[in-house]
Amino acid sequence: MNLKAVITGIQAWFDDRFGLSQIFKFLREKEVPQHKHTIWYYTGSAILLFFGIQVITGFMLVFYYKPTLEEANKSIARIMTEAPLGWIIRSVHFWSASFMIAIVFIHLFSIWITKSYRKPREATWMSGVFLLVISLAFGFTGYLLPWDALSLSATKVGTDIPRSIPVVGIWITKLLRGGEDVTGDTLTRFFGFHVCILPVFIFILLGFHIYFIQKQGMSLPVDVENRNEDVNSLPFWPNFVYREMIVWLLLVGILVTIAIFLPPSLDKAADLMAPAPEGIKPEWYFLFLFQILKIFPAKILFINGDTLAVLLFAVAFILFFFLPFIDNKPAERKGKIITVIAYVVIVFAVVMTVWSLL
Amino acid sequence: MMRSRRIALSLLLTCSLAFFFMNSGFGQQVGSDEQRSTEEKKEIVTQTETEKEKLIPSPKNIKEGTAIYVFVGWMWLSIFVLIYILRLKIKEIDRLYKIKFFSAKRE
Repeated sequence: MNLKAVITGIQAWFDDRFGLSQIFKFLREKEVPQHKHTIWYYTGSAILLFFGIQVITGFMLVFYYKPTLEEANKSIARIMTEAPLGWIIRSVHFWSASFMIAIVFIHLFSIWITKSYRKPREATWMSGVFLLVISLAFGFTGYLLPWDALSLSATKVGTDIPRSIPVVGIWITKLLRGGEDVTGDTLTRFFGFHVCILPVFIFILLGFHIYFIQKQGMSLPVDVENRNEDVNSLPFWPNFVYREMIVWLLLVGILVTIAIFLPPSLDKAADLMAPAPEGIKPEWYFLFLFQILKIFPAKILFINGDTLAVLLFAVAFILFFFLPFIDNKPAERKGKIITVIAYVVIVFAVVMTVWSLL
Repeated sequence: MMRSRRIALSLLLTCSLAFFFMNSGFGQQVGSDEQRSTEEKKEIVTQTETEKEKLIPSPKNIKEGTAIYVFVGWMWLSIFVLIYILRLKIKEIDRLYKIKFFSAKRE
C-alpha cells in the first residue's frame, strides 16, 4: 500500500464522518469582494489569530499560576523567573490581549463606518458587540490576576462603578467581588471568570458570529453598493487566505518582537491593608471610560454624578447594540449623520485616552 | 506527489515543534523553594520581590539572551522569506483565476 492510498483512505474516513468535503467545497466557492475598503476584511481573521494565541499562551500560564492570596503574585514571579521561557509566554499573553482588543475596536468601527451591519446582518453586529464586551471582561478579570498593588486598586475602582446603578448596583458589586470588598475571594472569582465562564461565552458567541458571516457572506460597504457597478471578487480559498497569511505573519512578528523587548513587569504582592498607590490607572482600553468618570461633576442637579455617568454609559451601550435598527436608512441623511457620529466617538475616545495618560 | 510532499513537510514541522517543546522543558514542575538547589538559584538573574519591589523580566543569562536575539532575527528572516513565497503563489493563483483555469477544470 503506497502513501497516497493511505492518505486517500484517511481523508475518506474523516469525510464520511465529518463531511469535510462539503466544508472545503463551501470555502472554494466562497468569494470576497474587492474594493477600496477590502483592507477591513482582514481585521476579522486577525482577531481570531490573537484569540488563538491567547488561548495557547493561557493554557501554558495556567500550568503554573495559583489563584490564591498567598501564591498568586509569587506564582507569576516564578513564571517570570523560573519557568522555561515563562516571561516571554506571559509577555505574549499580555500583548496579544491588547492587540486583540485594539483590532476588535477597529473591526467594529470599520463596520459602523462602512455600514456593513445593515439588513440582514443585524445579528452579526449584535454578536460582535457582545464579543467586544467579553473581550473587555477578559482584560478586566486578567488585570487582577498578578495580584499587585496597582491591579488591586484598579479592580477596587472598577468593581465600585456598578455600585452607582440604582436597585441592582450593590448586588452586582458584591457578585463581582465575592463580598463587600476586594479580597482573595475576588481573586478566585476573577480567575474563574477568566479561565472558565468567559471562555464558554466567547466560544459560543464566536461560533454564532462566524456562522452568521458564512451564512450572509461578506458585506459590501454602502457606498460601493450604491454605485451599482459590478464589483470584482476573489475566491476565499486560496486567493484571499494567502493574502491573510501575509497579514498574520507580520502581526505575529510584531507581537513576538514587542513581547520580547517590552515585557510587562510585576510589582510586589498587594497588601489589603495598605493605602491605594498613586496613579491608579486601568488598562489602556478602559482609559476613556475612566477619564469620563473622573471629569464628571460629583452632583448634577439632584442626581449623583457617578450614577448619571453610569446611566449614560448604559444608554450609549444600548444605542450601540441596536445600531443596525437605528441606522435603518444608511444611504440617506440619517445614515450620514450616524457616520459622522462614528467619527466623533472615535476622536472623543482617543482624546479622553490621551488626556488620561497625561 | 505534491500533496504527499506537503503532508510529509507538515508532519516534519509538527514533529520539530513537538521536539522543541519537549526539550524546552515547558510544562514541567517548577518545584517548591526547598526542592531548588542553591546552584539553580544563582542562575536567576532577576531579583525576587524581597530584593526589589518591581520584577523586570529579562533573559536569565547571556546564553538565553543571545538565543532570544538570534531567534528574533531568524523569525523575521523566515517571515520575509515566507511572505516572498506567498506573494509568488498569490501572483500565480490570481493569474489562474483570471484565465478561469479552475472553473474550466471543474466543468
